[in-house]
Amino acid sequence: MRSLRSRLGLGLIASLVVMLGLLWMTVGYSVRVLMEEQLATRLEHDAESLLGGISIDASGAVTLDSQRIQGIYRQPHSGHYYQIRIDSQVRRSRSLWDETLPVQEPAVGEARQAFISGPQQQPLLIWTGAYRKQGKVVHISVAEDLTVMRVGVRRFQWRLLVWSLAVVLVLLLIQQYIIARSLRPVSAAAQDIARLEQGEITELHEQVPDEVRPLVHAINTLLQRQQQRLQRSREALGNLAHSIKTPLTVLQQLATEKIPASDIAAHEQLDGFSRQIDLLVNASLRRARLAGDGLGASHFDLYRDLPMLLDTLGRLHHRERSITVQQELGDTRQLPLEQQDGMELLGNLLDNAWKWAHSTIRLTVTADTPPAIIVEDDGSGIDAGELDHLARRGMRQDENIAGHGIGLSVVRGLVEELGGSLTLADSDALGGLKVAIRLGDR
Amino acid sequence: MRLLLAEDDPDLAGRLKHYLGRQGFAVDAVDNGVDAEFNACEIPYDVIVLDLGLPQRSGLEVLSNWRRSRMQAPVLILTARDTWQEKVQGLQAGADDYLTKPFREEELLARLQALVRRSTGTVGETLAVDGWTLDEASQSVSRGEHHWQLTGTEFRLLRYFMLHPGRILSRSRLTEHVYEQDADRDSNVIEVYVRRLREKLGQDIITTRRGQGYVFGRLT
Repeated sequence: MRSLRSRLGLGLIASLVVMLGLLWMTVGYSVRVLMEEQLATRLEHDAESLLGGISIDASGAVTLDSQRIQGIYRQPHSGHYYQIRIDSQVRRSRSLWDETLPVQEPAVGEARQAFISGPQQQPLLIWTGAYRKQGKVVHISVAEDLTVMRVGVRRFQWRLLVWSLAVVLVLLLIQQYIIARSLRPVSAAAQDIARLEQGEITELHEQVPDEVRPLVHAINTLLQRQQQRLQRSREALGNLAHSIKTPLTVLQQLATEKIPASDIAAHEQLDGFSRQIDLLVNASLRRARLAGDGLGASHFDLYRDLPMLLDTLGRLHHRERSITVQQELGDTRQLPLEQQDGMELLGNLLDNAWKWAHSTIRLTVTADTPPAIIVEDDGSGIDAGELDHLARRGMRQDENIAGHGIGLSVVRGLVEELGGSLTLADSDALGGLKVAIRLGDR
Repeated sequence: MRLLLAEDDPDLAGRLKHYLGRQGFAVDAVDNGVDAEFNACEIPYDVIVLDLGLPQRSGLEVLSNWRRSRMQAPVLILTARDTWQEKVQGLQAGADDYLTKPFREEELLARLQALVRRSTGTVGETLAVDGWTLDEASQSVSRGEHHWQLTGTEFRLLRYFMLHPGRILSRSRLTEHVYEQDADRDSNVIEVYVRRLREKLGQDIITTRRGQGYVFGRLT
């Protein structure tokens, strides 16, 4: 579908062109008709003046009072002609230079006018009247060259056309301005949506025109409901975890207590079971808690959330050793991840690195879109075989994996659920493991 | 060591009270957030175990209120909620450690001992003062070649002395930190146990400051 702007623009152009075209044609035609009517009236007056100058004597001879004839009728091919017929006698103006005007004569008391071609192909308007004078029927025809008038009319029409086009142009500019102005709130809403997708805002501004407001309001309501539902389901999952794990703890401790310490096989089996239940419950809950696209939610902020996470990690691992975290975050401020999703992903990723690092962890966030998250440590790394095993997709979380495995399989599960990809390699810079995560491009 | 256990599951709370009691902690157990908040503000606990999913007032709210009213005891959050968001929230609200369920009792004990040592400024994994070394696992004390087994109350008392060496400790303070809430709280009992420790380990291990209290080692 084309944009509203071009649709409005095209519609307005078309209506303007049609309107001004019709105006141009009507005005041009009317001017021509008006001038021809005026000319015909003048010709009629000339004819009446000629009629007054005609005298017929008793023998029937016709004389024309030359005082009544204007000089223009004497100049050859001047464009002004007359022709008078009384019975068989025909009198022509000198300007006709012996040519005859083709006349269609009306009945007595009537008049008629026509367009004819005169001397030298001049386009003429001819007016013919039939009178009765001194008992004789007198036909008087007066004609005038239309060329000058037509040139005048055409010049007027041209001028009108130029002005019309100029007016169209000015009106179009004004319309474009009005359209742009009226559609500005719509563009603002579109920009809002882009910012929403970037996680910069969590709802759209509702100061928009009445036509758009229901739409914006509906989007906001939807986002709000989605957030509430996410929060409710997260709370419910937290309660579920609570109600499963507390009895699990008691069960585990009770069994540890009741089974004699000498029965090592039973203890191992018990440990295996409770560990498996714990891992499966965790994996399912973790997956269910993910917000996924994070639309309308605040995103993980590297300036706000990361320091808190690093502080927490430092304090939780306080007893083991102190680790320096080198951060190379570039200009990236937000990750394209819902805040809690980001907390979970980076928490597990960094926690795993913390466990295996000797003294240093490096966190790099690249400036790409979407950014890659790279975590390196200076631990002993993992050997090629285990790397291969870990790199396999869809690895089950309940498998008993040593070393980096368990933490990484959690991270892998999260990354896959979020539509990203994970690659493992040796860290050139620090010598340990390098985990690179590329998030799905939404 | 006086310990507050805020846990609403009666089975788990009962087991932990019993287990931690055997490990030399005087345990007060509460099963809701309101009691937890009140108790910790009234009694100078040495360490607190806090469940987040408490009825009446959530653990996180209780914790924030404690820290706002300058309640200084170290707090370990013991919860089934294991997301990083919750861990971050817990530690930002003022917790000192975070342990998720299911857990092993030994793991909890190790973390509690570490928290107590850290809060009293003691460094290292074992408690050693002036040539005396306390073994928390076997509840015994040694000096050079010699080795003494301690009873439960003797161990609690000696540990408190060794965590606060060179300081005058009043009889009421010792009572508060060695006995739980519902125990027989006659402060003369402290006198009896101090005499027993002197008989076992030597007269000069603890000196009496008349009208003030007792001092372990030399007064600083």
